Amino acid sequence: MTAHWHETAVNLDDLWEGDMTAVKVDGEAVLLVNVDGDVHAYSNRCPHQASPLDEGDLDGQTLTCAKHLWEFNAVTGCGINPDDARLKRFGCRVGDDGTISVDTGP
Amino acid sequence: MSTTRRMVVVGGGAAGAAAVAELRHHGFDGAITLICGENTEPYERPPLSKEFLLDVPATDGALPPPGWYGQHDIDLRLGTLATGIDPRTGSITLSDGTRVGYDRLLIATGVRPRVIPGMDGDQVLYLRTINDAVRLREQIRAAGHVAVLGGGFIGCEAAAAATRLGKQATILQARPSLLHRALGPVLGDVVAGIHAAEGVDVRTGQNVTGIRTGSGSMTVLTTAGEIECDLLVVGVGTVPNTELAEQAGLAVGNGIEVDAYCATSIPGIYAAGDVAIQHLPGHAGPVRVEHHDSALRQGRAAARHMLGLGEPFADVHWFWSNQYEHTIQSAGICDTAAGFVLRGSLTERSFSAFWLDGNRIRSVISLNRPRDVIEARRLIAAGHPVTAAQLQDDTVPLKRLTRPQRAAADT
Repeated sequence: MTAHWHETAVNLDDLWEGDMTAVKVDGEAVLLVNVDGDVHAYSNRCPHQASPLDEGDLDGQTLTCAKHLWEFNAVTGCGINPDDARLKRFGCRVGDDGTISVDTGP
Repeated sequence: MSTTRRMVVVGGGAAGAAAVAELRHHGFDGAITLICGENTEPYERPPLSKEFLLDVPATDGALPPPGWYGQHDIDLRLGTLATGIDPRTGSITLSDGTRVGYDRLLIATGVRPRVIPGMDGDQVLYLRTINDAVRLREQIRAAGHVAVLGGGFIGCEAAAAATRLGKQATILQARPSLLHRALGPVLGDVVAGIHAAEGVDVRTGQNVTGIRTGSGSMTVLTTAGEIECDLLVVGVGTVPNTELAEQAGLAVGNGIEVDAYCATSIPGIYAAGDVAIQHLPGHAGPVRVEHHDSALRQGRAAARHMLGLGEPFADVHWFWSNQYEHTIQSAGICDTAAGFVLRGSLTERSFSAFWLDGNRIRSVISLNRPRDVIEARRLIAAGHPVTAAQLQDDTVPLKRLTRPQRAAADT
């Protein structure tokens, strides 16, 4: 396991609680989600048909893809409906200055 | 539940397949038999009138993947029809002459395209199964001019696919606008405008009286003249496959009658999907929905009830259609004859139309605003009060309507 940490252009100040945003990191489309102050990073492609998840909706902990209404828990990445789906998670950390970094390592 | 050891599902569409998956998902380890009329494992139908025709892969995911049935000990009977139900002995008979006993039976036989007498032959295509779609995909490519009879979802999507493949397409629609039943006249006109702008010859208010087939080409006869084409796609609605249920003595109206638990009039027998007409609290009349998402949700709900689990079905109905770069989505059950509240712009083809019942949203139809539909779906499910003014104001996110205090605190 080799970590590949990349600083993103997103600062925690720009990603409010309940918000999400898409960034390109190391060629990957990454979704950054702020749930109750904790930032999570996932592949921005819905596991169903690869639609961009940032065009969907975040309500509390529930992330909904706008294409076909697949729902995910934005904290665990696990599917809610259908419940056997799962988001691809990336490592994610917030620096002292608020900079959000993502690990795109294998 | 301990005495329920044999589950039988008739119909390998979205509802039946989702039900089988749900049974195993909830740990049911008894016998499951899935009767499929087609010769392929269950698949998703929505792409058949869209991506499939364009050879664009549309990966599935809502239904079990290939091979799942074998791995999960499902007795999958492909190319087999149920020919009779005997509720007295709890068994069904199959087209191969065998008999299968059940403790719980789910009927998910779906619908079939409504066929117009005299409209047949090699150049006339109806679309329901993957075999239909394979044939249509081949014949569209060979055609120059594709005529489509019916301006519903199948007709509109087929015309869009033909246009994308560089073919001339003509839609013949008896009603005054496209998607007239689903969207109503005003929004239906917007869709007609989209197709016309893409080069489709949209002819509304025209009745087709017959066809004349020749060698290679054909002529469609309408009340407004004749149209030469190479291919006629017919999408004029469907007929629910209720014969099996009727013969078994189940209550059948415009579909198999079920309650909020997907239970039919005979104990131990359930129905779900396109074939089921459901009586739900809070609805003026019974509801029969022919959309993929509803079939999946109803199939899963029926499975839970077969196991003695689960709540009444209360999911908000939802559907989508893609035509060209446009996405139509809807949530709730629409009475499109009634007036609506508009958010956004019809001319810019970016809007959501809301139907209200007092201060509650009853349904929404959106063009190119899927996020509105997600929010509205929540507002519908919660029965949250709203005003027409709030909905019309595009500067107020719908999300804020459920959380006004938090919005104030954030800003």
